[in-house]
Amino acid sequence: MLLFDHVSKCFGDLRAVDDLSFELEAGEVFGLLGPNGAGKTTAVNMAVGLLEPDEGVVRFADKAFDRNPRDAENRRSLGLAPQSIALYEQISGADNLRFFGRLHGLRGSDLEERVAACLDFADLTDVGKKVVSKYSGGMQRRLNLAAAIIHDPELVLLDEPTVGVDPQSRNAIFDRVEQLRDGGKQVVYTTHYMEEAQRLCDRVAILDRGRLMALDTVPALIEAHGGPGNLVVRTGEGESRHETTEPLKTLGELQARQAVDHFQYLPPDLETVFLNLTGRALRD
Amino acid sequence: MNKIVAMAAKDIHILFRDKLGFFFTIFFPLMMAIFFGAVFAGLSRGPANIPIAVVDEDRTAGSERFVGRLEAAEGLALEQIPREQALDQVRRGQTAVMVTLSPGFGAALDNPFVNTPQVEMTVDPTQFAAAGMLRGIMLEAAGMELQEMMNDPSRMAAANEANRQAIVAFTPASPARDDFLNFLDLSGRVSELIDQLGLNNVTTDAAPGGFGSPLEIEQAQVQAQRRGPTNSYATSFAQAMLWTLIGGSVSFSMSIAIERSRGTLMRLLVAPITARQLLAAKGLACLGATLFTSTSLITLGITVFGVRPTSYPLLALALLCGSICFCGIMMALSVIGRTEQTAAGAGWGISLPLSMLGGGMVPLFLMPEWMQTLGNVSPMKWTLMAYEGAIWRGFTLSEMLLPCAVLVTIGVVAFTLGARNLRWDTG
Repeated sequence: MLLFDHVSKCFGDLRAVDDLSFELEAGEVFGLLGPNGAGKTTAVNMAVGLLEPDEGVVRFADKAFDRNPRDAENRRSLGLAPQSIALYEQISGADNLRFFGRLHGLRGSDLEERVAACLDFADLTDVGKKVVSKYSGGMQRRLNLAAAIIHDPELVLLDEPTVGVDPQSRNAIFDRVEQLRDGGKQVVYTTHYMEEAQRLCDRVAILDRGRLMALDTVPALIEAHGGPGNLVVRTGEGESRHETTEPLKTLGELQARQAVDHFQYLPPDLETVFLNLTGRALRD
Repeated sequence: MNKIVAMAAKDIHILFRDKLGFFFTIFFPLMMAIFFGAVFAGLSRGPANIPIAVVDEDRTAGSERFVGRLEAAEGLALEQIPREQALDQVRRGQTAVMVTLSPGFGAALDNPFVNTPQVEMTVDPTQFAAAGMLRGIMLEAAGMELQEMMNDPSRMAAANEANRQAIVAFTPASPARDDFLNFLDLSGRVSELIDQLGLNNVTTDAAPGGFGSPLEIEQAQVQAQRRGPTNSYATSFAQAMLWTLIGGSVSFSMSIAIERSRGTLMRLLVAPITARQLLAAKGLACLGATLFTSTSLITLGITVFGVRPTSYPLLALALLCGSICFCGIMMALSVIGRTEQTAAGAGWGISLPLSMLGGGMVPLFLMPEWMQTLGNVSPMKWTLMAYEGAIWRGFTLSEMLLPCAVLVTIGVVAFTLGARNLRWDTG
């Protein structure tokens, strides 16, 4: 459905996206990971047609986007939940959904059915008539997500959808994303949070400085880029940490030398992969 | 103390980083200083030329002398034209005041002991300040006329002789009549006696006595003669309607910046709508809102405050054209501000000077001529003209065409420029 074919985008001297290629597979949640300035948002903006690539092609539903980002017939099949809460706070949640539904051509009973379904999806049916400014942060986030799917798109782009919400709301959003996948939608999910990507994404692309560093399933990425795990042991002399790819063998060697009171094995995870690929230097 | 200084320094730093705050703190007061400085500079040289139409129906030496004095006064632009034409010009706002000298004015001026000379002023209701200044100038002219007559023995003698003959002819002989005739004889020699007594240079704190006002001025508003009872709300509501347009256009100009900062612009841009549809929606919303507010206001004026528009169809036309104009201005303003703050700053920063130039704050006649000329580019001036034309000036359709055409032209040009330069970036 969505294809990036050697896509590059520059802003002045800055090469925000550099020769990026990937293709979404049917019914998957696709993670876009990267530190600040990696090019995630630029890639999303090109995916929804807000930006035009300088090089390469972004294809959607087998049709190249027009040069004019406002000329957007293809956008009926995609939905975007921006990173910011992109809602009208002065009107109710239901009215927000109604408005965005109308923009996508929904009318009459179809519109009302979709509004009800999306309020239910966001668990906001009881407060649908309340103005959005009265919603909690988590409720606004859920409505932000619901507004992206009001027109039942095939592809949903979620740009950091869990920023600033509490654990309960975050879990609720995870459930909704999984619901979307189970419903056959393709989802592009950008995030800073590794555990989110690890839990939700079928495949993950790690970007850094506009370039694609790695793209695969989470287990494959860990296998390829995770490196050794860490065996943490506590003895009478204190706690120590040992990198190892064979934790049982290493534990045996340690026990042969001294009594081990307690041990814990920390296998490599997506965060390890991320830091191994993008380094530990701070990004502005 | 250091903490207080640190916090104060931080607030000042933020103030100067904030473009809107900076505008209203420094630039706007500077602009006001320049504007009012220019206005007061004009006033110190005398009022800028107030357009006055004189209708001399007396056509005597006295009335011509009086008109000559007005022509010699600084700050008046006099023209002598027929009554109907003068009245029409006042009604259309081209002339501030019509001064009528009725038959008998010259005779009264030459003999003020019997009758006080009278003039009639017909005033554009928006030009009361100009009328006030003219009133002062006319009183001064009549006073000078009286002074000159009293200093001219031949004119005094002629007046006294005319009065003597009238008194002898119309009153029976009596001691009182004789006393009065003796007084008239002596009054003709006032200047001569003053010279003989050397009183020319004597000053006194005593209150002046003798004659009352040298001139009697009757004042009327222009519509009172044409359209029935005067209603001051007719002018104030026209102004208020203009301000609803200004406020509405500034508010709507911020809406795109607000959409951008809240992220909803991105949603709109991702939706399957074209840029033209989005612009049309913004324009329609602005048009609807400004039409609604201005119509509501004038409806209130009509139903509660007794405003009686001279033409409802022309009022509807004026309302529509005014709203079209300010929709265009809204679009042009929305290009300038990227954030809500800068959009608001730009909106008011442009609207207020245009309002000043258009006569929305200071009467146009008080401004220097270059400012009045510049005021022709202000849509506020044309909006007011259209509103007033329909509400109380009694414009005809042909008279309404000019302001309406100017308003629609400004609206279309501004909207086109704004739409072409609107930035669609969302970040």
